[in-house]
Amino acid sequence: MRGKGGKDMKASKVKIIGKKKIKDLLREASQEWNVYVPQKWSDGDVWMDQLPKDKQMLDEALEDVVLEDVDTVISPKDIFFPQLESIFKFKDDKIWETPEFSPKLIFGVQPCDLKGILFSDDFYRRNFEDRYYVSRIQNRLIVARGCLRPPRPTCFCSSAKTGPFAEDGFDLQLVDFGDSYFVEVGTREGEEFITMHKKFFSEPDGNYDMTIKEIKTKACDSLELKVDFQNALSLMAQDSFIPEENYRRIGERCIYCGGCLYVCPTCTCFNVFDNVKDKEGERVRNWDACVFEGYTRETSGHNPRKDKWLRTARRYEHKLKFDYKVTGLSGCIACGRCLSSCPVGIGISKFIQEITEKRKIM
Amino acid sequence: MPRVLTTCIYCGCGCGLYLISDGKRLTGAYPSRNHPVSRGALCVKGWNSYEFSNDLNRLTAPLIKKDGKFIPASWDETLGLVVEKFKHYKNTFGPDSLAFLSSAKTTNEENFLMMKLARAVFKTNNIDHCARLCHASTVVGLSLAFGGGAMTNSINEFKDAEVILVTGSDTTAQHPLIGSRIINTVKDKGAKLIVIDPREIQLAKYATIYAQPKCGTDVAWINGLIYVIIAEDLHDKKFIEERTEGFLELKRTVRDYTPELVEEITTIPKEKIIEIARLYAKARKSMIVYSMGITQHTTGVDNVLSLANLAMVTGHIGFASTGVNPLRGQNNVQGSCDVGALPDVYSGYQSLVDGDIRKKFEQGWRVEGLPPKAGLTVTEIISAAGEGRIKGLYIMGENPIISDPDSNHVRKCLSEVEFLVVQDIFLSDTAEYADVVLPSASFAEKDGTFTNTERRVERIRKVIDPPGQAKADWQILSEVARRMGYKGMDYKHPSEIMDEIASLTPIYGGITYDRLGPYGLQWPCPTKDHPGTSVLHKEKFTKGKGTFMPRPYIPPAESTDEEYNFVLTTGRVYWHWHTRTMTNRTSTLEREAPEPYVEINCEDAEDLQIRDDQLIKVSSRRGAITLKVRVGHKVAKGTLFIPFHYREAAANILTILAVDPIAKIPEYKVCAVKVEKI
Amino acid sequence: MKNEYFPYPAVIEDIKTETTDTKTFRVWFTDKVLADSFDYQQGQFMELSVPGAGEAPISISSSPSRKGFLEFTIRAAGKVTKSIHMLKKGDYIYLRGPYGNSFPFEDIKGKNLYFVVGGIGLAPLRSLINLVMDNRNNFRHIKVLYGARTPDDLCFKDELEQWKKIPDTEVWLTVDKPSAGWGGRVGVVTELWKETHINPENAVSIVCGPPIMIKFAADKLQESGFKDKDIFMTLERYMKCGIGKCGHCNIDDKFICKDGPVFTYEQKKGFRHKEHIF
Ligand SMILES: Cc1cc2nc3c(=O)[nH]c(=O)nc-3n(C[C@H](O)[C@H](O)[C@H](O)COP(=O)(O)OP(=O)(O)OC[C@H]3O[C@@H](n4cnc5c(N)ncnc54)[C@H](O)[C@@H]3O)c2cc1C
Ligand code: SF4
Ligand code: SF4
Ligand code: FES
Repeated sequence: MRGKGGKDMKASKVKIIGKKKIKDLLREASQEWNVYVPQKWSDGDVWMDQLPKDKQMLDEALEDVVLEDVDTVISPKDIFFPQLESIFKFKDDKIWETPEFSPKLIFGVQPCDLKGILFSDDFYRRNFEDRYYVSRIQNRLIVARGCLRPPRPTCFCSSAKTGPFAEDGFDLQLVDFGDSYFVEVGTREGEEFITMHKKFFSEPDGNYDMTIKEIKTKACDSLELKVDFQNALSLMAQDSFIPEENYRRIGERCIYCGGCLYVCPTCTCFNVFDNVKDKEGERVRNWDACVFEGYTRETSGHNPRKDKWLRTARRYEHKLKFDYKVTGLSGCIACGRCLSSCPVGIGISKFIQEITEKRKIM
Repeated sequence: MPRVLTTCIYCGCGCGLYLISDGKRLTGAYPSRNHPVSRGALCVKGWNSYEFSNDLNRLTAPLIKKDGKFIPASWDETLGLVVEKFKHYKNTFGPDSLAFLSSAKTTNEENFLMMKLARAVFKTNNIDHCARLCHASTVVGLSLAFGGGAMTNSINEFKDAEVILVTGSDTTAQHPLIGSRIINTVKDKGAKLIVIDPREIQLAKYATIYAQPKCGTDVAWINGLIYVIIAEDLHDKKFIEERTEGFLELKRTVRDYTPELVEEITTIPKEKIIEIARLYAKARKSMIVYSMGITQHTTGVDNVLSLANLAMVTGHIGFASTGVNPLRGQNNVQGSCDVGALPDVYSGYQSLVDGDIRKKFEQGWRVEGLPPKAGLTVTEIISAAGEGRIKGLYIMGENPIISDPDSNHVRKCLSEVEFLVVQDIFLSDTAEYADVVLPSASFAEKDGTFTNTERRVERIRKVIDPPGQAKADWQILSEVARRMGYKGMDYKHPSEIMDEIASLTPIYGGITYDRLGPYGLQWPCPTKDHPGTSVLHKEKFTKGKGTFMPRPYIPPAESTDEEYNFVLTTGRVYWHWHTRTMTNRTSTLEREAPEPYVEINCEDAEDLQIRDDQLIKVSSRRGAITLKVRVGHKVAKGTLFIPFHYREAAANILTILAVDPIAKIPEYKVCAVKVEKI
Repeated sequence: MKNEYFPYPAVIEDIKTETTDTKTFRVWFTDKVLADSFDYQQGQFMELSVPGAGEAPISISSSPSRKGFLEFTIRAAGKVTKSIHMLKKGDYIYLRGPYGNSFPFEDIKGKNLYFVVGGIGLAPLRSLINLVMDNRNNFRHIKVLYGARTPDDLCFKDELEQWKKIPDTEVWLTVDKPSAGWGGRVGVVTELWKETHINPENAVSIVCGPPIMIKFAADKLQESGFKDKDIFMTLERYMKCGIGKCGHCNIDDKFICKDGPVFTYEQKKGFRHKEHIF
């Protein structure tokens, strides 16, 4: 297994690459890998999309690659857990499965998203392995990219210590240094990648360690939104602490679009259904969200989470209480996406502010 | 993983979203972060809009009914048959023996072609579409009052409003990305909200004042508000003087509508009437938001005119965050009206009675003898089909059996019409009655434009190919025209159709695909360098001076009596779209609202000894349906609410075919019913 | 790598009609290797598929002590279960599993057992009851308290009769709505408390049935002196995957499909929103 992106190995080596060379690196890498990298659309939206294989299309796509101030609506989770995917196909009495294995180079992953990926990896591997997710991550290399500035006004990674730079978990990490990037090596697979493409990389000179440290500290300071994350986790861990009124108020305001969960890097829920005509068809799964009433409604009509506030409670308790209890990590990785995709301005950072600062802001 | 920016297929908000495909089918839908409406968000329907077009039960081949069974056939044979029949009826019974129902789900280009086909090729004005059933009253009413029947403001102006008056619109459910803006403005910026609605909708919780009038009494409370405003000297004399006409008449009419009388008619307490009037009138930036709760009445036009009066008397129109805002239901109902899929106007609301305009279209289309007489409306077409006056009926992307009032009547009419063509993406209930079914492409399988409720003309883009032999509606319509021997409908791409629309339609004059870009343009956009218009009627009304057209209160067509003692009002739920053709093929949406239900007030439920979830029978003079009960406070005592989506218990079996005398919109919002336990 | 989502074909060998809406299907795998290696425990469930209709979690109602087949007792409730009801002898059905934890067996040897059952809840419990009956000497007194909506809704009528005949074994039946000819008791299952002595001494109780019935029965057992850890119950939740991935069945940090469906009253009381479990 290459590039597990999960191996604990502190960044021990550092290389440097000129920003101008990134395109050529990606061009070369895309011969071997399916390369996913943020690309800017003409309207300004940025998506983590796969680079095309066709030569001319690849050249065009490379022109749109952006690695700075990247604000994707969705984290890269959809590369491994697409919004809709096939589980198996069937015809008459035959059924056959349809997993996907291609080698993936995920280039320019934000540190918070990296945390999300690792969190989901762990979840899908735990106990029963999820064949579809695990096959998709089989062969994967992650190049993280730290944020000099928060790409979204709702980012609060420094409060949760999930960014703006990753400490581990990456194969490689880019540290923005003017017209070049320092490249921190996190794993052997990362190192192999550099060796494979060594013509693009060079050795940094001087006291680069200090420089990198300064860059990271400055990046950390650039985050304006600060919340008392640890305190929130410990408040949530206490069962006696019941902000039921909060849940009720939030549940009233929510319009149940599911957006906050669809965009959440650590949300993993799905629904399963069959698409069929006559005796031929497909079993597929697609993203689901625990804020929906039907998520727990049984055929009899009985629904243990019929009340809106219970569903709201589930959402926050899952991320900030139970995930923490099970894994020692918060399920919220502080990317701020739930807030930035909520039509009615609900978000986990605001929830944290409400409970730690004892005020009502939603 | 191709990703394409396009526009949501569901509601009139017109969110910008990206569809993702694996080359064969859609695998996802994401909001655009920078689109002015979606801004990184979508409602649940938008988020799940990728699913239905993958359904394996899509129509993939043309079908001809032989001996009561649909047999797949070639396009050649099928269209040959359509043309043969339509030609025959036209020659034998005259052009008006044909009728065309266009669709607010299809693009501007396709609606334009449908009306061109009807008018230029078949020479009939019998063309209409479901706008008749939702906002015909708006088109008529606001045109009379202001000179244009569209939202006067834009979606992003809600955030700066001081007072928002919402009536007859369950905004968070039906226009979620507008409803959410209203919540945000109220909660985060301290704006005041007035909700006047027979149902205690989600927004009511945020209302400074919530009033629950009896269904169908809107003119009364609106006149009541104007009475208070004038009595308390809160009207904007300067605005009235400079920009309007007919104030004296208004004064005379509303003089009788004292808060006491209004309370008697509407059950809204008189103190509330006074409070609402003051709140609305005193603010600087007051926006009115309304939807089908206002329009779907036999007094639909009166309701709309009265709201226009209210806005004008306070000068609350013609400024940013200040105006009258009908929220258009369908994704493209604004556009299909704009491009003339209506029996009495060409594109851009240009009257067909006007000889010069007819000449312009005759020249543009290189035809002669465009018919000068207005055609029939949707409901008239259906009835005429039943009576044999319409022989050939062509329905594109509509499902009148579920969506039109008095379903049993519609069913009967459609089974009697001699030749019925239905063009759709699925075999809908209506298609079952067709002689010929034509498979069409979904919104993800073609190019075109939709116009959202704020008049924003936006692109939709092709992501994948249509399944099997299905074709885009514009291609099918062009082919029919070609087979009729008409040469003016050969297009290589929908952009050419838009160029034609622009050349004939002043309000769309400046619109080309090149200019639309990612976010589109808001009409009026008369010239190629015009930036589009966010606020209407700024310096002057489109028609010059705004006209007060006071209306007296007239009760609904059907009132309750001893036997039919409940008022039924119908509507939609958040999760479903209209007749569920798309949403029941979307797993999440169908799961959320799988069954029909009727809302009833707790007190009534107690009187009748009905429990939550119990099955009951609801019947009107026209039919009966059986469905589950939801007991609660949402509706007032004496009122029932049923969503109309479900064929299993189609609310429109109960509704009455009584229409507004001018707009011909049916009264979906009031009829008399009774409840029986079973 | 095993694909847990991939179901395996089994043939329907027999179908028995239990009530107007419930049938028991006896099925067995077509693949010999799978059939030979297959094992399960009392109270576990499997995901049953009818391709095209979907998948539903169904308890195994047969006892692991009786080998060479599987039985599922299924009420036609919605799309999948109705499609299963349309299947005939010899048809294929697709299975994956078994999933979930199981009813206690070793730990309750030497005890008096109270089975408190409502409606279709007898399906999973039958697995345990028959296992106990096949090891009858290891257990003391047994009471089965079984309530159904109507006499017609009582499942496994033959077996109820058989159990009655086993020494030291009582079967108490009651129905909510009697029909003509019903000479038995009327009322919800907790009404049986009035008729028969419930003694918590050296006893465990196992409750299975509709949520509301479990709630009342478990409360009642606790009132009667059962310790929280000696009251076992099944929790039902909407399920899709059965393996702790789809999320639907979650309560707190637990997945009912994986960590359940069998819980003790003690565990239930530890849940965050314990008032809203049923
Ligand atoms: C652990 C467990 C064991 C069960 N054992 C039995 C049994 O032995 N016999 C029996 O008749 N029934 C049993 N049920 C209930 C049975 O699973 C539901 O009646 C069934 O899922 C309804 O599915 P449907 O497709 O027919 O209905 P639909 O309404 O079409 O349901 C669609 C889907 O929703 C999910 N779902 C809906 N209701 C439930 C529910 N109550 N529990 C779990 N998932 C649900 C399923 O994935 C189902 O396929 C059990 C449920 C659980 C959780
Ligand atoms: S994004 Fe906001 S409105 Fe949508 S489900 Fe989440 S909290 Fe509710
Ligand atoms: S608000 Fe309307 S346009 Fe936007 S996603 Fe929802 S249905 Fe689509
Ligand atoms: S059923 Fe999917 S997690 Fe339990």
